[in-house]
Amino acid sequence: MADHKAQLVVIGAGPGGYTAAFRAADLGRDVILLERWDTLGGVCLNVGCIPSKALLHAAKVIDDAAAMADHGVTFGKPRIDALRLRGWKNEVVGKLTGGLLQLAKQRKVKVVHGIAKFESANSLVLDNGETIAFEQCIIAAGSEPMMLPNLPDDPRIIDSTGALELDPLPKRLLVVGGGIIGLEMACVYSALGTDVSVVELTDSLMPGTDKDLLRPFLKIVKPRYETIMVSTKVTGMRPTVPGIEVSFEGKNAPEIGVYDRVLVSVGRRANGDKLDADKAGVEVNEHGVIAVDNQMRTNVPNIFAIGDVVPGPMLAHKATHEAKVAAEVVAGEKSFFDARTIPSVAYTDPEIAWTGLTETEAKEQGVDYDVTKIPWAASGRALSLGRAEGFTKLLWDKTTERVLGGAIVGPNAGDLIAEIGLAIEMGADAADISLTVHPHPTLSETVAFAAEAYEGTLTDLYLPKKK
Amino acid sequence: MSTTIDIIVPDLGDFDDVEVIEILVSAGDTVAREDGLVTLETDKAAMDVPCPENGVVEELTVAVGDKVSSGTVIGKLKVEVSDTVVIAPAIQYEPTGDTTVLATPAKPDGETQKSGGVQTLVVPDLGDFEDIEVIEVHVANGDQISVEDPLVTLETDKAAMDVPAVVGGRIESVLVRVGDKVATGSSIAIIEAVAATVTEEVADATQTVVIAAPPPPVMPEAPAKQRAAPAAPRELPLINEAGFSKAHASPSVRKLARELGVDLTQVKGSASKNRILHDDVKAFVKAVLTGQADGPIGGGLPKTPSVDFSKFGEVESQALTRIQKISGPRLQASWINLPHVTQHDLADITELEKRRQELKGPAKERGISLTPLAFVIKAVVAALQEFPKVNSSLADDGESLVFKKYIHMGFAADTSQGLMVPVIRDADQKDVYELASELGALSAAARDGKLKADQLQGASFTISSLGGIGGTAFTPIVNAPEVAILGVSRSSMQPVWNGSKFEPRLMLPLSLSYDHRVIDGAAAVRFTTFLGQQLADVESLLQATP
Repeated sequence: MADHKAQLVVIGAGPGGYTAAFRAADLGRDVILLERWDTLGGVCLNVGCIPSKALLHAAKVIDDAAAMADHGVTFGKPRIDALRLRGWKNEVVGKLTGGLLQLAKQRKVKVVHGIAKFESANSLVLDNGETIAFEQCIIAAGSEPMMLPNLPDDPRIIDSTGALELDPLPKRLLVVGGGIIGLEMACVYSALGTDVSVVELTDSLMPGTDKDLLRPFLKIVKPRYETIMVSTKVTGMRPTVPGIEVSFEGKNAPEIGVYDRVLVSVGRRANGDKLDADKAGVEVNEHGVIAVDNQMRTNVPNIFAIGDVVPGPMLAHKATHEAKVAAEVVAGEKSFFDARTIPSVAYTDPEIAWTGLTETEAKEQGVDYDVTKIPWAASGRALSLGRAEGFTKLLWDKTTERVLGGAIVGPNAGDLIAEIGLAIEMGADAADISLTVHPHPTLSETVAFAAEAYEGTLTDLYLPKKK
Repeated sequence: MSTTIDIIVPDLGDFDDVEVIEILVSAGDTVAREDGLVTLETDKAAMDVPCPENGVVEELTVAVGDKVSSGTVIGKLKVEVSDTVVIAPAIQYEPTGDTTVLATPAKPDGETQKSGGVQTLVVPDLGDFEDIEVIEVHVANGDQISVEDPLVTLETDKAAMDVPAVVGGRIESVLVRVGDKVATGSSIAIIEAVAATVTEEVADATQTVVIAAPPPPVMPEAPAKQRAAPAAPRELPLINEAGFSKAHASPSVRKLARELGVDLTQVKGSASKNRILHDDVKAFVKAVLTGQADGPIGGGLPKTPSVDFSKFGEVESQALTRIQKISGPRLQASWINLPHVTQHDLADITELEKRRQELKGPAKERGISLTPLAFVIKAVVAALQEFPKVNSSLADDGESLVFKKYIHMGFAADTSQGLMVPVIRDADQKDVYELASELGALSAAARDGKLKADQLQGASFTISSLGGIGGTAFTPIVNAPEVAILGVSRSSMQPVWNGSKFEPRLMLPLSLSYDHRVIDGAAAVRFTTFLGQQLADVESLLQATP
C-alpha cells in the first residue's frame, strides 16, 4: 500500500508544475504536488525570473538616476547596502512562494516534499522511502544551470543561483557565457558598481538573435563594461589568493585575467534523466529532454511532461501554457498546445524582446518577407525617457500582409512585445495594427508606426515607399 | 471447458460517459456473438453493445442510467472454449501465448503435413476491404466438410466471394452469422481437422491458418489493466498540422477546432480576408455530420418531405440491397456536383443490323453472342479516340484535365441486386468479336454476383444500353469522375427523307449526358454525329483491331 495516493501527481512545483496542479485541481482531479525544495515556485520564483527582476529594478533605478545628471537632475552617489537589497529581494520571493502555498491549500492540492523517482508507470518513491501511487503524472522537473567541466571547487565560481546572493559584491566579475541569463546578471552587477567582463564562445552575444538587436544594447553596455570578449574560449581557471585566474583563447582576449568572482552561465540542462523515468517506460534523451506530443503526453500514455524537461525554449511562460494543456488533457479535455509563438525577452538594459519569425530564421528558411523598422528616435516618449537608442521591427508576409514576427529593443521591450504576439496569434495584418488607435505618447506607438510604415501611411518619419 | 471473460464497451469513438438506456439481457441468459446486451445512447445515436462471443451471461454490472465509456467492463460472460483454441476475441486485445501462424507451406516438395486437431478457420487476405458483410453461412455445427468447401459468402461493395475451407474435418463451432462484419483474419469457425497431406496447390489457396499449439490456452487477460485511463491516447482524426499552423484563425477558434477534431485547412473562413470564425468551424462539423460529406460550408440541401405512408394504406418495407446503398449516394453525388446536359441523336444502323444478322449465326457457333452493344462499343472507342476530352476527367482541384491514354469501357448491367458497371479493359485493343465475347462473360458474372473487384474498376467511359427493353430516349447520369455517359435506347424503323423520298431506315436513339464543365455543347454534338457516322459504317467497325 502506497503512503500517498492521488489521481494526479505533478513532479516539480515551478511555474509549470504548480500551474498544472492547480488547473487539474480546478477541473476536479485529486492532486499531489511534489517539490524537492522547501518552498514552491521552482527556479523562476526562487532563483530565477523573480529575484533577478527585483535586482534588475534596483539596477535600473540607479542607472536612471545617474542618467538624469546630464539633464539637470543630480543625485549623490548611491550607497549600496547589499544586505538590505538581498533582504528586499528575498521578501519579494517569500511573498510569492507563500502565496503559492495558500493557493494550493485553497484548491486542496496536497503538497509533498521530497526527491521523487519512478518505480513504475503508476508509482514513485521519495528519498525518505515513502511511495506515491498515481493514475497519471505530469513531469515538471525543470532544469539546472550547466557548469563547465573540470572547474576548480571554489566559492568564488558561481552559477546564476549564487549570483543572486550578492554576497559580497565583487569588485571584478567575469561572466562566462553571453546568453540572456549572463547578460542580465552582468547588468545588475554593473549597476551596483562591479567591473564586469563578459566572455562568449561564439561570435556574438545572445547567439541566434538578429544581429541588429544587439547594436543598441552594445552601444549602452560597451562603455560600462570592462570588456566584452566574443569568439573567445575560457581555457582554464585557477583559484589564487587575489582571485580566480582565468585563461582565455581568442583573438581580442587577454591571455589571463584575475576576477573576484566568476559567474558561469553557459546554459541550462533539463532534469528529465534524474527521475529514473526509464522505470516508468518514459523515454529521455541524452540531454535529459523528454519528447512529448502536442498534448504534452510522453510515450507512456498516462505520463505527461512540460516546461524545461521538454523540447523548446526553457521559459516559464512556455511551461505555464504547456501545464494547462497537460492538466486539461489529464482531466479528459481535448486540449492541444497550439501556440504559434513564444516570446523571448532579455531583461537587460535596454531590454531586448522578440517573438515569431526572426530575420535570421526567415533568411535560413527562405521566407519571402518584408521588414519595417522604426527607430525610437522618432518616438516622443522614448526621447522624453532619454532613451532614443532602441527600435521596433516587424516582419511581414508579402502576400497576406500579415505580421510574421517582431523584435523590440529598448526599455520595456518585454511588455511591448505582447502586442505583437497577439497580432501573430490573431493573424493580424498591417492594416489591422495600423488602424488600431495606440495611445500617445507611449512606446507602444512604435508598433503601430512599424505597421504604418509597411502600409505607407506613416507620417512621423519619412521613409522610402515600401509598397 | 469454459471460461469467463469480461464484457467490455467497444470503442465508441470520441464519446465518453455514454448513458445506458436499456438492459437487453439478464444473468443466466444464453447469448450469441453480436447479440445486443445493453443499449447506450449518446447525444447522436443509440447503439447496442454486442456480445463478444457465444456464451452465457454470468452477470451484468451496469444498470439503466449508468454512464460508461470505451473499455468499461459491463459484465461477465461465460464462454465455452474448446481445449486448444484461442477464440479470437471480438475486441482488440491480441491473444497471447503459443499461437503459431502457419502460412503457405514452404516445403519444397510441394507437400506439407497439415496438423490435425482443432483449428480456427479465418478469413483470408482480402486486400483493402474491411467490414465485409457475411451474406451467407454454408456450414453448421457438426457438419463434416472437405477442403475447398465454401464456409461463408462475403459481399464487398464490389463483389461477392466464397471463403473456402483450408482443411477438411468436422465443424465444432461456427463463429459468424449472416450480417456479421468481418475482415482479413477474422475467425469464421472452429474445426476438428482431419490430419491430412495436402498438396501445395491446395495449400496455396489456403492463405493463413492460425493454429494454437498444444499447451493450455492462454486466455486473454481480462483487460482491466488495459482499460483506457480517462486520458489514454485515442485515435484522433488526422489533421494537416503544417496547414493548420497557417490557418487564418484565432487561438480560440483553433481551440474549438482541436476539440472537435476539425482540420482547419478544410474550413473556409467566412469573415473578411477569409478569417475562420467559430461559426465556420461549427457549420463545417454540421455539414460533415449531416452527410454533406467532407463538403464545404453551405451545402444545406432542402430535404424531401417525410410521409407516413401507412396512413394511406398497407405498406411493406424492404431494405435496399448493398449495391443500391452504394450506388445511390454515388449517383446523387454526380447529379448534384456535375452540371449535366444530355444530347440526343439518332444513328442509322440499317446496314449494321443487316450485317450483324448475317454474322450472328457463325459467331454463335464460336460461342459468341454478337450483340448490337458490341458494335456500339466499337464505334464509341473510335469516337473517344477522335475526341479524347470525352475520355478525360477533371482533376480534383478543378484546375486541370486528366487525359487517359487508355480506354476502359464500363457498361451498365441490370442485376437482381441493382445496377452494376462491369468494365472491359483496353476496349480499344479489341475487335468486335472479342468485345462481344467479353460483354457476354462479364454480364453473366454480374448476374451471378461473381464479379471481381478489378472487373468493376477503372472505367474511362460508360455506356448504359436499355435498347433491349425499350424507350426512345433518356438522360443517363454521368458515372463521375468520368465526364460523359452514352445512353442507348431501342432502335426502330423510321421513315427517313433521303432527298427525294422517305426511306425506311433502322434508327438507334443515342443520348449522351456530359459534364458541361469539361465538354461544351458543340463538342458533344460533334461527338454524337461522329458516333452516328461510325455506326453507319459497319465495315470499318468489323475491321480487326491492329
